[in-house]
Amino acid sequence: MTTTFDSLSAGDAIDGPKFAVTRESIRLFCDASLDYNPLHLDDEYMKGSFGKTQFGGVIMHGMNNFGLISRMITDWAYPAGAIHRRLETRWVKPVKPGDLIQPTGIIKAKQSTAKSRWVLIDVVVKNQLGEKVATGEAMVEFPMDLFCL
Amino acid sequence: MAEAQAFETDFWKDANLRKSWDEIVPGVPRKTIPYTLTKEAIELYCRSVGETHPVYFDEAFAKTTRYGGLIAPPSIHILLMFSCTPADDWMRSPGTVNAGQSWSYNIPARPGDVITLEARALDKFIKRERLFVVHDNVFFNAKGDVICSGRGWTIRPM
Repeated sequence: MTTTFDSLSAGDAIDGPKFAVTRESIRLFCDASLDYNPLHLDDEYMKGSFGKTQFGGVIMHGMNNFGLISRMITDWAYPAGAIHRRLETRWVKPVKPGDLIQPTGIIKAKQSTAKSRWVLIDVVVKNQLGEKVATGEAMVEFPMDLFCL
Repeated sequence: MAEAQAFETDFWKDANLRKSWDEIVPGVPRKTIPYTLTKEAIELYCRSVGETHPVYFDEAFAKTTRYGGLIAPPSIHILLMFSCTPADDWMRSPGTVNAGQSWSYNIPARPGDVITLEARALDKFIKRERLFVVHDNVFFNAKGDVICSGRGWTIRPM
């Protein structure tokens, strides 16, 4: 069923893509983002501590979560003629090679303004244990001149 | 300004040139460099997060959309943050931990766009013994149109 602004209700769910995290996926994200921070590459370095934090091994880029959430939002919005306008995220738990993560969204609210229509979406990324690794909120615009992709 | 030299992937190499938390002054602009976004860079980024929508890859399809041609995914700013800043930028300090980010999207970036960045630290503070810096960033295309704007919270290496 095609998603429309009028048909959406608070509580409606959006399923995002499952993503298997490996050393190779992390390395690919380094090459694609140009973020070569040793947090994501260097096992010896990651045996150390970071102030109050210890990771115990290389971790996935937090922004890899961000990219997956954004992918979920655009894949949902484009066919409806809607536009991904905002994403705010917070990382709550490190993601490591071997993890299987998945973003999901829940429609929180709809609002019309003088010139457009907006949907607010609570987003979360969970790992294979059901633990939250990232949380946030997205905003999608449903323009009056819908142009479905 | 000249385009960036070949990208240095060893973030330790210029570590001593980068500002520490003590040296970062909120409000002072960061040095930035223009970057020409390529179709290949967009495709590599898409591959890294599993993006497959044809508006990023298929020119004929993209021409039929509201965008009238190929675009990059909104989250391409993840790449632009590093491609538009020099090797001594403090965002590359080894041990920089990303705590969260928020971004607003105006118009899409496109292959061939020459993209510029205006960026600065906006705030710095200490919380639970961790050293935080808040950074804000605005990316523009060659016409001066805002592509996206965003803010991030990083924990600085001690």
